[in-house]
Amino acid sequence: MRISGQPKRPSWSRLGLALLALPTLAMANADVEKNIANSKNWATQAGDMFNQRYSKLNQITTGNVGKMQVAWTFSTGVLRGHEGSPLVIDNMMYLHSPFPNKVFAIDLDTQKIVWKFEPKQDPAVIPQMCCDTVNRGLAYAEGKVILQQADSNLVALDAKTGKVVWSVKNGDPKLGAVNTNAPHVFKDKVITGISGGEWGVRGFIAAYNLSDGKLAWKGYSVGPDAEMLIDPDKTMTWTDGKMAPVGRDSSLKTWKGDQWKIGGGTTWGWYSYDKALNLMYYGSGNPSTWNPAQRPGDNKWSMTIFARDVDTGMAKWVYQMTPYDEWDFDGINEMILADIDVKGKATKALVHFDRNGFGYTLDRTNGALLVAEKFDPKVNWATHVDMKTGRPQVVSKYSTAQNGADVNTKGVCPAALGSKDQQPASFDPNTKLFYVPTNHVCMDYEPFKVEYTAGQPYVGATLSMYPAPGSHGGMGNYIAWNAGTGKIVQSKAEKFSVWSGSLNTAGGLSCYGTLEGYLKCVDAKDINKELFKFKTPSGIIGNVFTYEHKGKQYIGVFSGIGGWAGIGMAAGLEKDTDGLGAVGGYRELNQYTELGGSLTVFALPN
Amino acid sequence: MMDDVHMFRKSLLGLLMFAAGACFAQSELYKVVDGYKVDAETMKGFRTWRAAACDRCHGANQEGLVGPSLVNSLKTLTKEEFVKTVRDGRLEKGMQSFGTSPQVMENMDQLYAYLKGRSDGAITRAKVEAMPAP
Repeated sequence: MRISGQPKRPSWSRLGLALLALPTLAMANADVEKNIANSKNWATQAGDMFNQRYSKLNQITTGNVGKMQVAWTFSTGVLRGHEGSPLVIDNMMYLHSPFPNKVFAIDLDTQKIVWKFEPKQDPAVIPQMCCDTVNRGLAYAEGKVILQQADSNLVALDAKTGKVVWSVKNGDPKLGAVNTNAPHVFKDKVITGISGGEWGVRGFIAAYNLSDGKLAWKGYSVGPDAEMLIDPDKTMTWTDGKMAPVGRDSSLKTWKGDQWKIGGGTTWGWYSYDKALNLMYYGSGNPSTWNPAQRPGDNKWSMTIFARDVDTGMAKWVYQMTPYDEWDFDGINEMILADIDVKGKATKALVHFDRNGFGYTLDRTNGALLVAEKFDPKVNWATHVDMKTGRPQVVSKYSTAQNGADVNTKGVCPAALGSKDQQPASFDPNTKLFYVPTNHVCMDYEPFKVEYTAGQPYVGATLSMYPAPGSHGGMGNYIAWNAGTGKIVQSKAEKFSVWSGSLNTAGGLSCYGTLEGYLKCVDAKDINKELFKFKTPSGIIGNVFTYEHKGKQYIGVFSGIGGWAGIGMAAGLEKDTDGLGAVGGYRELNQYTELGGSLTVFALPN
Repeated sequence: MMDDVHMFRKSLLGLLMFAAGACFAQSELYKVVDGYKVDAETMKGFRTWRAAACDRCHGANQEGLVGPSLVNSLKTLTKEEFVKTVRDGRLEKGMQSFGTSPQVMENMDQLYAYLKGRSDGAITRAKVEAMPAP
């Protein structure tokens, strides 16, 4: 209800905050930790800070999930793609919506809306979010609900009233710097990123004080060392089979001229944090433009896994997955932290399923590369990752740079939307496996020269996408992955891309949504055993979550088709590709679903 | 393999159209041969379409995606309405303003000609090529 305006902030209260600064700092993380430790909550977007998407709740099990029924539903009143999930803290649920980024606080006892917040945003940001106006959800800490608006404003709301506590501008939407990511609270900081790789936005990650919204630090993905918060002597990277300092001007040396200034490397994924190491992890996106001919060089540190000190932002280590991107294999997907066995050795691992089709396992303490294997057997743009250099070995036939501008490079797998996009995977500590929602889509890619105009699209390639040829005809797989060996343990074919974040539970379940709109729960020990299936009102691109209220476990998910797969693909098939035998493809989605955002919550019958 | 068959079908269709004397379409706005070879001005229109990334919303074949089908829209939209929409946008609906894009503003007529040709059905595929010089 409340329109965002100037927050009340008398100067004496600032002074008070300053005086209380130290205890406030210490408490911030403790509060989030306390909320996470109570497994009745769904306290963060991933349920924890490791991005594991695992819940200890075990009332709903492989044995009884088949009896699950809809407990309640809620419409957000917004069309377009609904990504992310609500949060549950104690008795309250906090929901977000795509643009205009409404926030609802719902009392779980009465299912009544306690407060509603709808910011006023310039509609000019809508087309800049083309082709969908998604938002990936809220963060909660110390009685504040944090919303990252589309227009780049980061806002803290009083969790009790929905009133604005502080608000800060994170980017310039007039230049295409808008936001879709969820903010994350690590320690005393609110961490957020930026979108706009297709507008020539230079990506960064920023930390604002949870207490007052002031910028604490900002680290760019590309550019001069100081602006990236990279120390040439101390920031390490995988070099010749070992970790070595990145050296001076590690980014600038890999760009031609000033291209880095409009060089992309945006940061709109899900971030994770390891308290013991005080490091946060995230990936940077594609370099701009999509036409590789305009940016010769490795374009560091686009397409890179970053480990940064949360207090200072300094990069402890970096690893570039796709040097000199030629396919828009945007590296923003989440980093999942798990302590697992890697090639026979207990390891503090970081596991990442990249758009480029490789599943990476690194030592998260120091950035050493341990495993890099294809998590979709159809991946063809590279033969393998050279474990000594860490570089993918590109196949000339699929190199859009070698084939050149104005040449249509055909049959590249995966497509630009990756073997996996933002839809987050889950880790099950019982099976020690990762459950990954994937895309099974290939593409033709034709780059062309583009001029940069501030605030205008800066894309530079025409793409055509279609189901992976010579496979099951579907456009997705749900897979179980062993990150210690880099092997697919099981694969379950899906008709459409699985664009929904998965959830694993102590009840032995692994649940995910589909673009047709089904919520599915399978047996984590045998994912081909489909134990529950229910058709929600619209296609699902949201993430499955769970909570407990008054002794009852609930499983919920947003439905609301949209996003790149949902809207971008629903009508996007070219006539030419229809001839490849996958007639219909994504277009067939029209037969299953329509737009419309709502939450569906399930539970066992009384 | 399937590709070849498809290509063959297309050429066959082209031949049939040729036989029917329908291969050369012309209007005051654009010139097109065989459905995809266009005059230099219309070619500029296509390049503008591509550079402005219109396909992100309107689809690779102008058939509509999150934005409306331009094949349909241009059957009813007047030239003046077209220019206004491209220049000022329809922000609430998600159409951006291209008023600050030199390439779009300088090639507005050519962009209109290309899209009109697509809408008229005279330009039969989205990706066009330059007509051989006369």
